[in-house]
Amino acid sequence: MSTATITPPTNATTPARARARAGFGAALGFELRKLRAQWRTRAVLLGALLLPIPVAFAIHAQGNPPKDSLFGRYATTNGFALALLVLGYAGQWVLPLLTAIVAGDIFASEDHHGTWKTILTRSVSRSAFFSAKTVASMAFAVLTLLILAASTIVTSVLVAGHSDVIGLSGQLIPAAHAWRLVGASWLSTIPPTLAFTGLAVLLSVWSRNAAVGIAAPVVIGFILQLVGSMGSAEALRPYLPTTAYEAWHGFLAAPSFAGPFVTGVIASVAWTALTLGLAWTLLRRRDITGG
Amino acid sequence: MRRIIWTFVIALIAAVGLGGVAIATSPGSAITVPRLDRTVAASFSNVYSQEAALEGHSGITPSSLHAKVACDKGPGVAQSGPGTNWNCLMSWTDPNTPMPSTGYGKFELNVHSNGCFTVGSPSSLIGYQTITDKRGRTVSNPAYEFDACLDPHGDNTPTGVSFPSALTVTSTTANVGPDGKVGVDLACGVGAGGCSGTVTGKTDTGVSLGSVPFKLTEQATTHLTLPTVLPAGAKQVTFTVTTTAGVAPSPSTLDVQGR
Repeated sequence: MSTATITPPTNATTPARARARAGFGAALGFELRKLRAQWRTRAVLLGALLLPIPVAFAIHAQGNPPKDSLFGRYATTNGFALALLVLGYAGQWVLPLLTAIVAGDIFASEDHHGTWKTILTRSVSRSAFFSAKTVASMAFAVLTLLILAASTIVTSVLVAGHSDVIGLSGQLIPAAHAWRLVGASWLSTIPPTLAFTGLAVLLSVWSRNAAVGIAAPVVIGFILQLVGSMGSAEALRPYLPTTAYEAWHGFLAAPSFAGPFVTGVIASVAWTALTLGLAWTLLRRRDITGG
Repeated sequence: MRRIIWTFVIALIAAVGLGGVAIATSPGSAITVPRLDRTVAASFSNVYSQEAALEGHSGITPSSLHAKVACDKGPGVAQSGPGTNWNCLMSWTDPNTPMPSTGYGKFELNVHSNGCFTVGSPSSLIGYQTITDKRGRTVSNPAYEFDACLDPHGDNTPTGVSFPSALTVTSTTANVGPDGKVGVDLACGVGAGGCSGTVTGKTDTGVSLGSVPFKLTEQATTHLTLPTVLPAGAKQVTFTVTTTAGVAPSPSTLDVQGR
């Protein structure tokens, strides 16, 4: 924080932009330090690392494979299928929840502790503060996703083996190729997860309540899934962030297709921009003198 | 606070408006007959050749099967979109498993809104959930039931494949009504063009019971009554179907019941 307040004389003529950037860096460091200190953050990261282990064992132990879900048919006998089955569920609510736990709280906690006045009367600008909190939430979302993905893939393969897997065109995918496809499938959920981070940030700013910021994105996710499954709203399907969570299906087909992934990335970027834009508008206009 | 509520309401109206425009200008569902035809043919060819390899049938490859598919969502509904009412008729070439007299097998599909679907294969052609492999072990049958996903931007030009409906006599006995006439039940299966033709009846004593015409849409049943009263002493009736549309079954001989 002190770096922004001590302005060397040589910088006196530089535009305000340089000072804003220094403010952003300091604010980001501060936010990351706060995140590291929170038990909630540690619990999420630990959960992402350890929860796939009992899940993989539980599914592997089933006598009847969960055939209703994609890749459930071979999930008890094939590690790649198991990792993709878990990905299917992760996209439905786990990933939106994991990002919302931090992003839904990061602004609301300032309301909860009544610290807005303290923070914003310092030299760090409101915009630097907003971007630092947003970038910290997004970095956390990506980190959690990467840990969850690595843990799930490694556990699944160790538990259920790494034989060749049958893809979504009935084709046999050799194990060497399956590693890459499963990894790419998990990585393809980063854009929609960031869209949900934006949504959680918006709800956190708007409601000033951590409970709303954390729970509402998951509920909205379920509503969007419902909208996407309704026949009359099928045209909206490609533009929902929940649909982007299913874009990996195309990677596992033969010939593979990336159309839904490209649409999903564009839709996710649009959702992120819209939600963050609204959140910034709300925050910029907020009167903080009341505390 | 009031201003925030108004902002929220305006945002909601804008979102609903944009959604409405998207729905109004959309070309319809991405799940169409040509895309299903192609995806089902390709995925079936893959899993069927895996089954053939397990059973030790050599020379069966996805391309050697020449699978031809015609999918159909049933009469009276739009032929697109998700649903559990999709059926696909498919013919393929495998010297070990000749096609039935209709020339195709019927596959039942459960298509989800995300374009992924589960295919249930006909046991008469594909076998059951487990099969015995060439080394005598019991293994699961990859073609019995399988999942696939279609490309929502895939080729949407019609494949031009169509198969006629299969007509079946569903009665298990020749039922005699109070007026002494014999009735028979017919079912017209999945396929293009429905079923039409005539049914004739003949007793085991050699007496003709006359004939009656019929016309059915696909996936429909009907009850027909032959015009001539069943003579005394007849114990069996043989029904012979001739069709102008649809595939006729072989003549079926049923025991007389109800007199």
